[in-house]
Amino acid sequence: MRDATAKARPAPRLITLTINGEVREVMVRPRIMLLEVIRDHVGLTGTKDGCESGTCGACTVLLNGKPVLSCITLAVECDGKTVETVESLSEGGKLGDLQEAFLDQGATQCGFCTPGILMSAKALLKNNPKPSLPEIKKALEGNLCRCTGYNAIVDAILQVSDQGVAPLMK
Amino acid sequence: MSKLKYVGQSLKRKDGPDKVSGRAVYTQDIKLPGTLIGRVLRSPHPHARILKIDPSKALALPGVKGVITAKDTIGVKHGFVETPRYPADQDVLAIDKVTHVGEEIAAVAAIDDITAQRALELIEVEYEILPGVFDAETAMQPGAPEIRPTHPKVKEDLVNIAGKTETEWGDVEKGFAEADYIREDRFENQLRTHGYLEPQVTLAHWEGDKLNVWTSSMGTFIKRAKLSRTLGLPYSQVRIHKTYVGGTFGGKIDLYSHEYCAARLSMLTGRPVRITANREEIFSAYRHSQTLTIEIKTGVRKDGTILAQRFRIINNAGAHRGSGVVVIFLAWGFIMGPYRIPNLKYEGYAVYTNHTTRAPQRGHGAPKVRFAVESHLDMIAEHLGIDPITIRLKNARGPWEQLPNNDNTHEAGLIDCIKMVSQKSAFLDKWRQARPPADPESPLRRGIGIGVTSYMSGTLIYPNGSGVIVKLNDDGSVIVLTGALDVGQGAETVLCQIVAEELAVGMDDIKLITSDTDTTPQDIGAWISGMTYVTGNATRQAATHAREKILKVASEEMGVPEEDLGIEDKSVFNLHDPQQRMSYAQVFSASVAKHRGDTIIGEGFWRTMRDEPTHPSLATTKGRWTENYAFSAQVAEVEVDIETGEARLIKAYTVHDCGFPVNPGLIKGQVDGQVSMALGQAFMEEVMTKNGYTLNPNWLDYRMPLIHNMAGSEDFEVITEQYRIGQPYRTKEVGEGLVSGVLAGIANAIYDATGVRLTSAPFTPEKILAGLRKLEREKARELA
Ligand code: FES
Ligand code: FES
Repeated sequence: MRDATAKARPAPRLITLTINGEVREVMVRPRIMLLEVIRDHVGLTGTKDGCESGTCGACTVLLNGKPVLSCITLAVECDGKTVETVESLSEGGKLGDLQEAFLDQGATQCGFCTPGILMSAKALLKNNPKPSLPEIKKALEGNLCRCTGYNAIVDAILQVSDQGVAPLMK
Repeated sequence: MSKLKYVGQSLKRKDGPDKVSGRAVYTQDIKLPGTLIGRVLRSPHPHARILKIDPSKALALPGVKGVITAKDTIGVKHGFVETPRYPADQDVLAIDKVTHVGEEIAAVAAIDDITAQRALELIEVEYEILPGVFDAETAMQPGAPEIRPTHPKVKEDLVNIAGKTETEWGDVEKGFAEADYIREDRFENQLRTHGYLEPQVTLAHWEGDKLNVWTSSMGTFIKRAKLSRTLGLPYSQVRIHKTYVGGTFGGKIDLYSHEYCAARLSMLTGRPVRITANREEIFSAYRHSQTLTIEIKTGVRKDGTILAQRFRIINNAGAHRGSGVVVIFLAWGFIMGPYRIPNLKYEGYAVYTNHTTRAPQRGHGAPKVRFAVESHLDMIAEHLGIDPITIRLKNARGPWEQLPNNDNTHEAGLIDCIKMVSQKSAFLDKWRQARPPADPESPLRRGIGIGVTSYMSGTLIYPNGSGVIVKLNDDGSVIVLTGALDVGQGAETVLCQIVAEELAVGMDDIKLITSDTDTTPQDIGAWISGMTYVTGNATRQAATHAREKILKVASEEMGVPEEDLGIEDKSVFNLHDPQQRMSYAQVFSASVAKHRGDTIIGEGFWRTMRDEPTHPSLATTKGRWTENYAFSAQVAEVEVDIETGEARLIKAYTVHDCGFPVNPGLIKGQVDGQVSMALGQAFMEEVMTKNGYTLNPNWLDYRMPLIHNMAGSEDFEVITEQYRIGQPYRTKEVGEGLVSGVLAGIANAIYDATGVRLTSAPFTPEKILAGLRKLEREKARELA
C-alpha cells in the first residue's frame, strides 16, 4: 500500500524563488501551492490562508510584481520568479507609508484580510500613483473584507496617494 | 477637572502595527514540531440512526496515529445554553443518531492531510436513514419526524419544540379593543453565514498533565470551561492561549466539535494536533444564523400611538438547541426596547429541524426583529397618513423609563437619535420625493427609509464578570493583564486608552497581555456586547488602584498632601510647584524600598447588574436583562433599477447613543462594518439549502459584499454619559446593534423608491421585479 502511494505521488522538484529579496531553494511536490511554500516551507506566516480556493484574496502576494492568489498558484510555476509578501512592506521594523495609512484610517480590524489587501494595493499604486475610486475598486475586487465595509481601506489608499484624505486616527 | 487626553480620542489601534506588518500571530500561524493533522468525519445524511461505526481500517492505515468516536468520549454533552431548564443536548461526537448533514461522527489524526483524508474514507459507518424535516412550521406539527423530544414544559400539542419564551403585560385584548386601527403582518428572513475570513482552526497540545490550546474564538474562558467539562479535565489543566482572531461575528463562541477532537486526539497521541475546517465544511456543516418567522399584530390610535402588540416568532433552530432558545428570548428584548408598548403578548418558539446547529450572529436576531417591526410600523404610518419620523417620535422611549422587567432606560438618547438622523439625512425632504427620476429615461429610482433599534450592553452569561490587573514596571511603564480578546473590535486599544487616561502614561508605555486563561484574569469575552463597559470599568478600577498607590508613595516622599499632587507623563508633580516632581520610576523604587516591596499592582473587577443573582429567565423573560440600553436611529438611501430589480445601498446615516465614544475612529469602523453586513443581508447573502444540504458552500456562490458594494456611511453620536477620571462610567453597545436599523431602513427605502413592500429578506431583484409587476397589474385593474 505504501509503495503504491509513493508511486502515485509525483516526484518532488527543486525550485528557486526570490522571496522578499532573499533567494530560497525549496523542494516541492508538483501539487503544492505557492501559499504553502511561503507559509510552511519558508515560514513567512504574514500571508493568510482564508479559503484555499481562490475566493477571498487573503493569500494575495506579488509574483514578478503582479498580484496573484498564492493558494491557487502552483509553486513549480513560480520557479525562478520573485515573490513579495506583506513582510516586504516594512524595512528594518519600520512600517511603510501604505501600512501607516492603513493605521491612520483604521483600515484594519481583525486584520486577517489586511496582508492580502496591502499587496493588492501595493501593486495598484506601483503602476498608478493616483488611482481613482473605480480603479481602486477594480484592483481590490478580489479581496474580501468582512470587518471594515471597505470604506476605511479606500480612504487609506486615497490618503497614501495624496488625494486629499486626512488621517482619521491619531 | 483636567481635560481628557486619551479617552474620547480616535487613537490608532494598539494591535495595528502587528496586523499591517504580518507579525500578528493567528491560530493558523502557530507551529509546533511533530504536529499531526486532524480531520473530522461528518454525517452525509440530515437524519439517520447510526447502527455501527468501525474505525479499524482507518486505524490500520500507516501514518494514522489516532481515531476517536463517541466511545472515546466521557459522554458529557454541551450546549450554548446549559441550565436546569435547558440542559445541554449536543454530543461532541454523535452517539446513536445524526440530526444534520455534517454532524461530527469521528475524527482522525495522521501525519499529513492526505493520510488523514484517506483515513476518514476508511471509517465504516452503517446508517438507517430517518425522514428529515427542514421547515420549522412543518416540524412543529404533530406527526412530523421527531428530532428530539419536545421540551417537557411546553404543553401544547406540538413536536420538536426546543424551547419557548412567553411573556405578557397589560391587557392586550383591551388594547386592541381600544385601537383605531389594527394591522397584522408576517415577515421572513434568510439563512446567513458569518463570513469570518479566518477559518475555524484549533491546535491542541497535551503535555502529559496539561492541555495547551490555540483556537480561533470569541472568548478563551468560555472555551476553557466547555473543553474542560467535555474532556473531564479540571479547568486548571486546560490552558487556552491568546492568538489574534480573524473575525467571528458570533460564529466562534461556544464549543465546536473540532476543538474537542483536536484536544482529545492530542491526549490520545501525545502529539500536537491541528484541525482546520475548510470553507466548504464551514458553509455546509458549521453554525450559521437563525431564520425567524415573525408575526406581528399591532393596534394603534389614530395619532399613531401603539396601544397593543402581539408577536409570534418561530425560530428554525436547527438540529440542536444551540442559541435558538436565546434568540427567542432576545427577540422579545429587541421588541420592547425602543418603543412604548403598554400591552404586549409575546410568544417565541425554537424548533428543532434537520438543519445545522445555529449560532448567534452579530445582532443575535435584532436585525430580523427590527426589519419586521420597522416595516410594519411604516405600513401603519402610511395608513394613518403619518410620516415615518412622527410615528417613531410618538412611540419612542425617553430617558428613565422603567421597563416591564425592571430594567431602566437610564439616560436614553433615542428621541435625539431619531431627530438628528432625520435632520442629518434631510429625511422629510427626500421621503416620497425620489420616485420620479431626475432623468425621465432613467430606470433608477431613489428611496429613503428609517430603522430604529435598541441593544443591550452586556448581560449576565458565564463567566459574568471581568477582572483586570494593572502593574507598574520599574521604569514607570505599565503592563495590563486582561482576559479581553480583540477579535477586531478594538478591545486592546480601548482598554489602553483607559489606562493611559487614568495613569497619565502614553499609549506606547502600556503593554497588554491578553486572553490567556493561565496568566490573565477571567473575562466575559467578546460576545455579549459588554467589553467597553464591563472590562473597561474593571480596567479603570485597576488603573485607579495603581494610581492611588503611586500618589500615596509620592505624597510621602515629596512631603505634599495627595490632593495637591497631579500626574502627567509618567510622573507625579506638585500642583502648586510643578517643578517638584517624581517620575513613576522613582515612585516605584520608593514603594519597593519603603512599602515592604510593594511593586505597585492595581486590581479591578466589574460585573454588570452586580446585584442581580443571575441572568433573566429565557422562558418567561423575568429578571433584569441589561443595565445599559444603547439606542440608535439609522437611515438608508437606496437606488433601485426598476428594469433589472437590482437595488443597492447608496448611503447610510447612523445616529446612536453609545453613552460617550471612547474612540470615535474605532466606532466609525464598527458602524461601517455593520452597514456592510446589513447591505449583504439585504441584497445578496443567503445560504441556500435543500433537504439540509448546502447548495452554495463557497464564496463564489455565496455572495458577500465586495468593495464594489461599498456604501457611503456617516455616523454621529448622541452623548448621554461622560467619563470622569476615577469614576465608574457607562458606555453603551456599538458593535452589533447597528446592523438592524440599516436593514430595516433599506426595506423601507425600497418601498419609498418603488412602492414595493418586501416582507422577506433578502431583497433580491426577483422579489423586487415581482413586486413591481404586481403593482402594474393592480394599476391596470384600477384603470379598467
Ligand atoms: S486563501 Fe487564497 S483566495 Fe482565499
Ligand atoms: S479586517 Fe477583518 S476581514 Fe478585513
